[in-house]
Amino acid sequence: MTQGILTAKWWKVLCALLLIYTATAGFLIPVPAKPILHETIRNLYFHVCMWFAMMFIFTVSLVYSIKYLMDPKKEFDIIASQTANTGTVFGILGLITGMLWLRYTWGETGRDWWAPDPKLNGALIALLSYFAYIVLRISMDDEQKKARVAAVYNIFAYVMMIVFVMIYPRLSNVDSLHPGNGGNPGFNQYDLDNHMRMVFYPAVMGWVLLSAWIASINIRMEKINSYHHNKI
Amino acid sequence: MNQLVAIMQRELRHELRSRRAWLAILLYIASTVYITYLAFQHDLEPVTWNALFWILIIFISMFAASGSFSGREGEMLYIYTLVSPARFILARLLYNGIFMVIVSIITLFVYMMFTGNPVGSIAVFMATVLLAVWGISSLLTMAFAISIKGGGGFTLMAIISFPLLVPLLIIAQHLSSQSMQPNPSEYLGNLAALLSLDALIAALCYLLFPYLWRD
Repeated sequence: MTQGILTAKWWKVLCALLLIYTATAGFLIPVPAKPILHETIRNLYFHVCMWFAMMFIFTVSLVYSIKYLMDPKKEFDIIASQTANTGTVFGILGLITGMLWLRYTWGETGRDWWAPDPKLNGALIALLSYFAYIVLRISMDDEQKKARVAAVYNIFAYVMMIVFVMIYPRLSNVDSLHPGNGGNPGFNQYDLDNHMRMVFYPAVMGWVLLSAWIASINIRMEKINSYHHNKI
Repeated sequence: MNQLVAIMQRELRHELRSRRAWLAILLYIASTVYITYLAFQHDLEPVTWNALFWILIIFISMFAASGSFSGREGEMLYIYTLVSPARFILARLLYNGIFMVIVSIITLFVYMMFTGNPVGSIAVFMATVLLAVWGISSLLTMAFAISIKGGGGFTLMAIISFPLLVPLLIIAQHLSSQSMQPNPSEYLGNLAALLSLDALIAALCYLLFPYLWRD
C-alpha cells in the first residue's frame, strides 16, 4: 500500500500547482501594511510552512520508528531514516528563512542573526538532535543494530523535543518575540486577513506535500541501494 | 524489589572496589572548579556564578556517567541472563541518580568554597539542583547505553546527549536564577515542569531500554 502512495502521481501534481500558486500569489496578492513587518510578512508563506513540513515529516519518522520496534522490517527503517533526513533539510530552511526575517524585524535592522527566543532555542535543539541521529546512524555498521538503536534514539529525541516546545514558553519569566506569545498579538486575531489566508493554507499544504515528495524519492533510492547491496 | 536492591548493591561494591573511579571524579571536580576560580577570581556576578555552575555540572556529570559503564560489557551480558532489562534500567537509574546527586553536592560545596555563595533562597536552589541532576543522570544513562551500542563511547555520548540535555538545563537555569533572590515567586510552576521532565525521561528509559539490549 505504501508503494502505491509513494509512486502515485496526483499528489505530486497537486504539490507543484500549490507551490507555483504560492510563489506567484504570495508575492502579488496585497498584504496588510503592518508597522515594522511591512512586506516581510510575505515570509509567512515560506518560513512558517517549513516548520509545518518539518513537523509533519518528523512525525512520519517517529511513527515508522515505533513500527520498526514493534515489527523489525527493513522497509520501516528505511522510511524512518529517510524522512528524518528530509525533515532536517526543512528544519535548516526554516531556520535560515527565520534568521533572515528576524534580521529585518526584531532588534536593530540588519545587525542580528539570532535572538533570545524560546522558539529559536526549541528549533535549534530539534535540529541538533536530528543531526545527532544522523551521526549515530553513520557510526554503526551492523544493519539491524543500527536500525534498532536509531529507532530508540529517534523516539527519545522526538518526545523530548515536543514536550520541551510545549513546556518552555509556559515557564515564568520567559517571553517569546513570536506572534501569539508574551503580549504579542497572534496572527489569527487580525494580522492574517482573508487575502493572506488564501495563500497561507495552500502554501502549508504545498510545502508539506513537497516534503513528502522529497522523502518518497529518498526512500525509493535507499530501497534500490539496499537491494543492490544485498545482492552483492 | 529484591533484584533492584541486589543490582544496586553490586554496583556500589564495584564502585567502591575501583578506587580509581572515585578519585578520578573527585580530582576532576577539584580541578575544573579551581580552573573556573582562577579564570574569574573574585568578581563573579550571580548571573555568571549561576551559568558557570551549570556548565560545571554538565561536564562533571558527563565524566561521571562515562566512568560508570565502561569496560564492563562482558559483565553486562551476564546480568541480562539473570534479570529483565526493565528491572535493570530501573536499578541503574536509581543508582546513577543517587550517585550523581552526591557528586553534584560535592561539586556545589567545592564551588561555593572557592567562589562564595550568592544564593538567596537555598531551599529552591537545592530543589532545583536535585531535580535537574536526577534528570541529567537518567538522560546520560540512556545516552550512554545508546552510545555503547553504537560503538562510539564518550564522543558519541556527548553528541547525542547535548541536545537532549538543553531542555533540562534551560529550566534549571531559570529556576536557579530565580533562587538568587531571597524570596522568589512563581517558582512552583517551573519546579513542576522540571519534575515532569524527569518523570518523562524515566518513563522513556523504562519503555525503550529493553529494545536496546535485544541482540
